[in-house]
Amino acid sequence: MIARMRLAVGVLALAAGVSAQAEPPLPPPYAGAYQPQGVDEQGLWREMDEEERRFAQSDMIIRDPTLQAYVTKVLCDTVGQDRCDATRIYIVRVPMFNASMSPNGLIQVYSGLLLRVHSEAELGAVLGHEFGHFEARHSLERLKAQRSGGDVLAWAGVLASLAPSYDMLRTYRNLQLTIIGSIYRFNRDQEREADGLGISYLNTSALRPQAAAQVWERLMAEFTADARAKGLKKPRFDRIPFYSTHPPEAERATTLALLARPEAATRDDGAARYRAALAPWLPQLLDDQIKLNDFGASEYIIQSLAESGWTAPLWHARGELYRLRGAPRDLVHAAQFYDEAIALDPAHPEAHRGLGLALLKTGQAAAGQKALLRYLELKPDAADAKLIGMMIPKEVPAP
Amino acid sequence: MMSRLIAALAVTLIVALLPSAAMAHKLREQGVAVSIADSPLTVTPGRDWNRLDGNVGKHTETWTLDGGQLNDLTFFAGIEPGKPLVRERSKKREPLPKFGAGTLLVELPELFEATYRTAKQIADFRVTDVQPTRFLGQDGVMFTYEYVDQDQLTRKGEAHAAIVAGRLYMIGFDAPRLHYFERNIGDFHRIVQSARMS
Repeated sequence: MIARMRLAVGVLALAAGVSAQAEPPLPPPYAGAYQPQGVDEQGLWREMDEEERRFAQSDMIIRDPTLQAYVTKVLCDTVGQDRCDATRIYIVRVPMFNASMSPNGLIQVYSGLLLRVHSEAELGAVLGHEFGHFEARHSLERLKAQRSGGDVLAWAGVLASLAPSYDMLRTYRNLQLTIIGSIYRFNRDQEREADGLGISYLNTSALRPQAAAQVWERLMAEFTADARAKGLKKPRFDRIPFYSTHPPEAERATTLALLARPEAATRDDGAARYRAALAPWLPQLLDDQIKLNDFGASEYIIQSLAESGWTAPLWHARGELYRLRGAPRDLVHAAQFYDEAIALDPAHPEAHRGLGLALLKTGQAAAGQKALLRYLELKPDAADAKLIGMMIPKEVPAP
Repeated sequence: MMSRLIAALAVTLIVALLPSAAMAHKLREQGVAVSIADSPLTVTPGRDWNRLDGNVGKHTETWTLDGGQLNDLTFFAGIEPGKPLVRERSKKREPLPKFGAGTLLVELPELFEATYRTAKQIADFRVTDVQPTRFLGQDGVMFTYEYVDQDQLTRKGEAHAAIVAGRLYMIGFDAPRLHYFERNIGDFHRIVQSARMS
């Protein structure tokens, strides 16, 4: 509560244009093997334990101990070893920007989040936010708030029916809207509080807290790029719709930028370590994104990853993106991108495949077949080897 | 007064019953050749199937034995160039990949994969095998795949496709990897073998 008030003060200060620091204090860590207290928390935890038992068997989970250990390490580096032991991280293969936290300490990290953050500090910012929900017991608070709201509404309904009149009906409907609105506002305030806690963890860690705002700035840029590619109106990031569960992105970016300790701006954000740890998974994550047929967003993600240098997987992904859209001009570009990938990694089989197909479709049969032949040499046991083989006449000499 | 009430009731009943009568699922009987989605594609099922009412797109039909989630046999009967495989929820906001006049046989598995991933918003989809085949008297492609759907169940699938006169004809079969796929893959193969262009 105090934390929320302090944050509210922070936001007010922000509105007034004063760059005051209002870093919320951290709640005490869950001590040892914490046991839920009270009937509500116990019930909530029991339900989530049951859910976790089922979820742990899910086929959507990426079961890579190295990646799992790395993401857990980033969380522990952010919130501290004494706190992070209370949680379990599950990496889920869902191509969207999200992570979620359950009241019993289960953290779901979506693969789409791993693709979109660029450094340990950025990943830590999102994980710290989720961890803030956990330590501040937000699910429990939300359960109570929703229940109280429902109770008030139910009793108001009973009372209103005792004196039925148009005035009463109107008053009841107003109350209904007020309570529904307040539940969503409550949710948004919890998110603001979690943002504040997340940045406090980062501030006290060895990572660079300014990264938190970058995550949101890049996400807004991605949404804008996506809308532009689809010919939609530029999305607004400053409005709070009635049913919105989260504060608007622009507000989050500004608040996080403001709460990050300025003297920590020179800290390492662990971008190189993050790239190295994610490298084995990057081609897969890029493929998952590209095949969503979301040209604007995918192009933006590839470009922003390439800011730290183009690599063969990035060029290949870009080639695939353009070839899948498949307009004649896209195929010409795709062939160039595959060429770039091959220049960096001549033994990249899929780049040769894409190059071959793109060339074939732009009427360059001989060069295309040569590239496909190279693909088959590099990957003779490819799933589509036989079909590709049928596209190459036997007399084509080996390159 | 009474008769008018009865008449009103009767009208209400007829109106209430009409759509359900028109929306009924249809039995596709063993050994009876049927045309798919009013297209030249005909198949002769080797056993009784249920044709589900409603379709996932223009020129498609879905058949099942135990319900769409347990065995889903979908026919794509003559997709025109420039059109997606299944209906788009929103042309503008959530476009699906399109079949094109220049689409190669080897790209059909990719088109199918991208359509599944986009329409279902899933990431775990693997094409496990791609083989050349003869389908509808033409050179075609046969491919198998495996994916984890939003219900977190792993499904296996197989599809046979060919491009006839510039249009895409494809029959796909999806079923849970556990039990259902193996049980009915033979029935699916019989349908594929019976497929003809009339």
